[in-house]
Amino acid sequence: MPVATDLLDIQDLTVTFGGGSSRVTALHGVSFDLRKGETLALVGESGSGKSLTALSIMGLLPPEGHVAGGRVMLGSEDLLTQSRRDLVRTRGSRVSMVFQEPMTSLNPVLTVGRQLTEGLEFHRGATRAAAKARALDLLKLVGLTQPERRMRQYPHQLSGGMRQRVMIAMALACEPDLIIADEPTTALDVSIQAQIIDLMLDIKERLGTAILLITHDLGVVAEMADRIAVLYAGHVIEIAESLTLFDTPRHPYTEGLLAAVPRLDVLVAGTTARVRLAELPGSVPSPADRTNGCPFTPRCPIATARCAAEMPPMTPLDAAHSVACWERAP
Amino acid sequence: MTRFILRRLFTALITLIISSFLVCMLIHLIPGDPVAMMMAQNSSPTPEQLAAMRHMLGLDLPLWQQYFHYVGRLLTGDMGRSIFGSEPVGKLLLERLPNTFALAFAGLAIAIGFGMPLGFFAAYKKGSWADSALMAFAVAGVSVPNFWLGLMLVLLFSMTLGWLPVAGEDWRSMILPAVTLGVTYMAIIARMTRSAMIEVFSEDFIRTARAKGLPESIVMFRHALRPAMISVVTIIGVVFGYLMGGAVVVENVFSWNGLGRLAIQAINYRDYPLIQGFILLFATIIVVMSVLLDIAYAWLDPRISVQ
Ligand SMILES: Nc1ncnc2c1ncn2[C@@H]1O[C@H](COP(=O)(O)OP(=O)(O)OP(=O)(O)O)[C@@H](O)[C@H]1O
Ligand code: SF4
Ligand SMILES: [Mg+2]
Repeated sequence: MPVATDLLDIQDLTVTFGGGSSRVTALHGVSFDLRKGETLALVGESGSGKSLTALSIMGLLPPEGHVAGGRVMLGSEDLLTQSRRDLVRTRGSRVSMVFQEPMTSLNPVLTVGRQLTEGLEFHRGATRAAAKARALDLLKLVGLTQPERRMRQYPHQLSGGMRQRVMIAMALACEPDLIIADEPTTALDVSIQAQIIDLMLDIKERLGTAILLITHDLGVVAEMADRIAVLYAGHVIEIAESLTLFDTPRHPYTEGLLAAVPRLDVLVAGTTARVRLAELPGSVPSPADRTNGCPFTPRCPIATARCAAEMPPMTPLDAAHSVACWERAP
Repeated sequence: MTRFILRRLFTALITLIISSFLVCMLIHLIPGDPVAMMMAQNSSPTPEQLAAMRHMLGLDLPLWQQYFHYVGRLLTGDMGRSIFGSEPVGKLLLERLPNTFALAFAGLAIAIGFGMPLGFFAAYKKGSWADSALMAFAVAGVSVPNFWLGLMLVLLFSMTLGWLPVAGEDWRSMILPAVTLGVTYMAIIARMTRSAMIEVFSEDFIRTARAKGLPESIVMFRHALRPAMISVVTIIGVVFGYLMGGAVVVENVFSWNGLGRLAIQAINYRDYPLIQGFILLFATIIVVMSVLLDIAYAWLDPRISVQ
């Protein structure tokens, strides 16, 4: 892999909750990388650890959560071992985040303008006037009309789609190299979802910002992602370029996911139908009753005795496609 | 905002009408013959004297008429006359009002001025020994009865150390009663502030503020404090109600010449017009205060004040 252009390199990220006998492992050595300007989609069922991966990168795990191992390299720095001060300087400035719920993710008692300018003032040392000018530009960039008026408004005066645009403007404020978007469209109306996706595509093209896109929505994935990493029960089980993954998924779980989905070209052609990850029979084992084997064993149609005993390692099939499965990449 | 205030004033008016009705009917809720009890203090009244008294108080009229007379008199500022001393109730109450206000507001200032920062600090240090110590102190503050705390403070600062007067009228003699009154409500406010802050800390927008890379001090003071204050303001109204009740006790412990002492005297003498006036005044003060706090609340919260 072309190491020189790597922006983010996550290696063996392990996250646990609780301590002693009630300790559970939620992320089991997650590894993937993201190149400059690339959009990587992180997909997987609910509870597979997508948000935890994002929050670990940001250093925003809930207080009960604990990074038990691994590295999150941004350039040459490990975000996990950064001092609090450096972490604060990285967040919002080099890596920023767009959350799922635009209603609750904006501060209800501060104006949109204040929430946009404060990051610029803190990270860039911008004066009030300069920060305000930049904020107006950002609001225009994300396609909000009447930016002066928006600056003075409070979040409750905006619609859901407008709020998400504000969130995106906030994330873009300091021109980060990477934006992590955790289900940025899930909470929005279907018609608004398409607009937000278009906005993100536009930003990706115009600003070249890398995006780590977390979503359930395979339509969104098909439209936006350059590569896809599939997460299952806290393991990355397959990673490949989008087209490859949609055309020739190798992991039985990925195959199952895509089985119920129309063909990729249909999705890209812009059907308004937003396809969610198919519900496979059975469910993800809860972190508490995990074995040492492949976590997909109980649901896998081609499982063998070895699967229950040993976790398959991520094995490259070619330069851009890796899979963790005993049967598919022995 | 204007509509919010109007609606709030309307409910306040309803509350006052209900209070005045209850106060008017109070005299009928007392077991036995109130007039006989009132007059029993002097001598044994004759039936004629009792009837005359009943007539003077309007107790011989039908209930609804009694109420309309009562309200009619109230609207002209006439709260009746004290049975003992026969001074106008309004005048007696107004004389004592400034003393009670001074005490209550000093108590409230102590409660808010110390309670909020302590709760804030405890929330910030949640789980630390400082947090545990503060909250243990708060539980103690809530559980210790006012009068007992008052007596202990007198014992320590007046009797033993001789720093402060036991009773009197100047500001130095207000310190002990104000502290006594303040400490209990300080504990309540500290706990409320702590839980409000902790709740705000778990909000998504705090995570957003952190994700923006703002230092923890800005997250605390700009993003968390005001939403937390909004919920604390809503309970200060309730606290104020309790505090006015506490003032009655504390005034009597410290012989502070306010409404509370007057009320206890009125109760001892079964001076019903004075008791009624006192209750009505207290109810009015609490209602007015809660309206003011609700307006402050609406003003602090743009979700209400900015449409
Ligand atoms: N506060 C917590 N305490 C204990 N375990 C937790 C906590 N938060 C998350 N987990 C564990 O981590 C797992 C992954 O959670 P995460 O929020 O990352 O899932 P997700 O893939 O983002 O799911 P969703 O699609 O529902 O958002 C959960 O299944 C849960 O077992
Ligand atoms: S390792 Fe075994 S159980 Fe896991 S996906 Fe492959 S075949 Fe199925
Ligand atoms: Mg999630």
